[in-house]
Amino acid sequence: MSKIEKALSRAREAERDTQVVPVAGASVAPTPGTAMVANRVTSPETIPHMAENEVRLLGPSDLAQLGIIQPRHSEDPAVQVFRELRTKIIEQSQGRNAVILVTAVSTGCGASFVAQNLAAAFAFDVGKTALLIDCNLSNPSVHRLLAKAGAPGLTEYFEKPDLEIKEIIQPVGIARYRAITTGKRYEVPEEHFSSGKMRRLMETVRQRYSERFIIMDGPPMSKIADIRTLSEQADYVLVVAHYARSTNAQITKCLNAISDKKLLGIIFNEEPRIPRIR
Amino acid sequence: MQLAPEQVARALVNETFHSRRLVVGIFVVVNAAMVAAGLVWPKSYTASTSILVDERTIIQPLMQGAAVATDALDRSRNAREVIFGRKIMDIVLEYGGWLKASPSVEERELIIEEIKKRTIISTVGKNILRIEYRDVEPERAFRVTEKFAELYMQESIAAKAAESKAAFDFIEKQTQDYQDKLTRTEEELKELRSATLDVSASKEGDVITRVNDLRKRVEATQQELREAEVVEASLERQASGEAETTTENLREGQYRTRIAELESKLDTLRLSYHDTHPDIIQVKQQIQALTDSINSERTRREQTKRSGRRDESVVANPVYQQLRREQSQNQSQIEALTARLADLQRQLQDEISRGKRMHSGDARLAELTRDYQTNRDIYQDLLRRRENARVSMNMDREHQGLTFKIQEPATLPLAPTGFRFLHFVLGGILLGVLIPLGLLLARLQFDPRIRMGSEIAAAYNLPIVTVVPHLWSPTELKSLRRELALLTLIMVATIAASAALSALRLIKVL
Repeated sequence: MSKIEKALSRAREAERDTQVVPVAGASVAPTPGTAMVANRVTSPETIPHMAENEVRLLGPSDLAQLGIIQPRHSEDPAVQVFRELRTKIIEQSQGRNAVILVTAVSTGCGASFVAQNLAAAFAFDVGKTALLIDCNLSNPSVHRLLAKAGAPGLTEYFEKPDLEIKEIIQPVGIARYRAITTGKRYEVPEEHFSSGKMRRLMETVRQRYSERFIIMDGPPMSKIADIRTLSEQADYVLVVAHYARSTNAQITKCLNAISDKKLLGIIFNEEPRIPRIR
Repeated sequence: MQLAPEQVARALVNETFHSRRLVVGIFVVVNAAMVAAGLVWPKSYTASTSILVDERTIIQPLMQGAAVATDALDRSRNAREVIFGRKIMDIVLEYGGWLKASPSVEERELIIEEIKKRTIISTVGKNILRIEYRDVEPERAFRVTEKFAELYMQESIAAKAAESKAAFDFIEKQTQDYQDKLTRTEEELKELRSATLDVSASKEGDVITRVNDLRKRVEATQQELREAEVVEASLERQASGEAETTTENLREGQYRTRIAELESKLDTLRLSYHDTHPDIIQVKQQIQALTDSINSERTRREQTKRSGRRDESVVANPVYQQLRREQSQNQSQIEALTARLADLQRQLQDEISRGKRMHSGDARLAELTRDYQTNRDIYQDLLRRRENARVSMNMDREHQGLTFKIQEPATLPLAPTGFRFLHFVLGGILLGVLIPLGLLLARLQFDPRIRMGSEIAAAYNLPIVTVVPHLWSPTELKSLRRELALLTLIMVATIAASAALSALRLIKVL
């Protein structure tokens, strides 16, 4: 197979598997064989560079199984909500990229679900990329998005001085979507979050790409010390409450613990919805 | 927080979907419980009868003012008292076959209480009494109702007859008592009249006049007596001042005059002579002779007085005599006056006591007359009433006073009354829906855990407040489809089972 044929087949695959949403400015819808070109046109500097590292993209059934929203289900209320949320955050940040810490009122409120899907919503936009950092050391969840098990993550980064930042950023099989997992699960003191390494990591990932939105999947609000440390690294904090689980008293307590400047909003998660059953 | 009705409805729908298994579970449990209750719920049959109570109005004019007509409320209360009385209940227990199992005393009491609870006695209009009895057996419901009516009529007629007999007896006894009282009062009046015969003729005015006259005479006599006594005292004083006799005082006086002359002469002689002078001695001797003469004169007078002989030399004093005479007359007058005074005072006392006697007699007479009149009135009234009571008694004896007619006889109830099986089935379905909804609504209201996104949006003023609905994965949707199908099947099966049981019940298999 010649190089040209290989490139064509890769382009076709990319067209099939990459979720591309039409964005303002992209007047021509991507056609088979031109997806990569379209990407290049939209984001001339960064996107092609990232595309080089893309692994095989996840199919719709895989995404559905992982509980990640897909742009093709645009009529799904959940998809609409996450898109709207993304738009509001972009409005708040006035076009600049931002670090968003997502935390839960209590364990089991679905902060990871919100964080993963918020990142996916950013990745919908071909002009934006998303980096999800799993900061929930005691109950990590981002690793299940990765095809490759045992990839190095935060813990390795903190423990090994010679590990490069790029080595811990993993592709997740969704276009423009990267993740940093917690790494191998052994006990890591949470004090690392306030270390210089953590600050350097955050500065690096934030400054490297101006269109990259960084979402931190934080521990629940019960670990208030971690939340305070992590919120120092973040621009905005989103608090996730759960239907029929969180009380007003709990929410008020959480909101009082977070600085008003950074507090962006509340996500009321898992409201029951009767789906259309065909 | 106050929620709009549509918000609540929406939240309720969400909540019902969220807790669908619980809702269906409650639905099934409630249905099963209601069907089970329907199966064990005893059927009850009600029989009723109406009695027309016709109270002839002859009695009312007869017993005018003495009796009050019974009203409808009293009638149903009376009927309840009569029917629930021990006598009728015992007969009904026997008749209804409750005694076949030979229950203990306590059990009998319980059975009686149950029968009482199942019996309703009411009045329809003024004169119709309605007896309703409910039982699990239609046959017994009918028979017991019929028996109640029959026993009630018998008992009422007997009670009425006994009542009027008792009333007659009572009035009869009262009449006798008053007759006795009247006779006694007449006797007393007669006695009183004969006892006060002497005073009864005189008038009060005469007595007063006589008493006044006697008082005047007593006062006059007392005045006279006091005057006579004053005269008496005066005469006494005068008589004591006068000598009884005059002579002897004369002779002794002469002697004392002579002695005084001689003593004067002796004093003169002593101026010139010694005591031994013959003249002085002579004079002394003369004085001695005169003193002796006085003494002898006195002695003689005493002797004369003692012997009672009249001394010729003594002469009675005429003034003294006069005084003595007057004194004597005065004394006899005093005695006469004293006697008269005593007599007058006795008369006065008599007259006063007679006046008093006359007054007390009058008071007693008035009292007796009053008693007599009262007793006579009551007696006459009682005589009239006794005759009324006799008429009532005879009427009741001949069943003329109170008659009963069965207006609507008891019939054998064919269909059961009260809750039926179908009611339980329908109620089960309704409650099976309402109870879970009610519980969910209560949870929505009282559970502090948030169930509405709008609630958060209203409570917190933040740039972003987003409600994320559940994201259904295809696997979840598949299992949800299965679950919903299963839940629907369970509900349909529950309703079908209830309907099947109702049908079986209807064709009397169950």
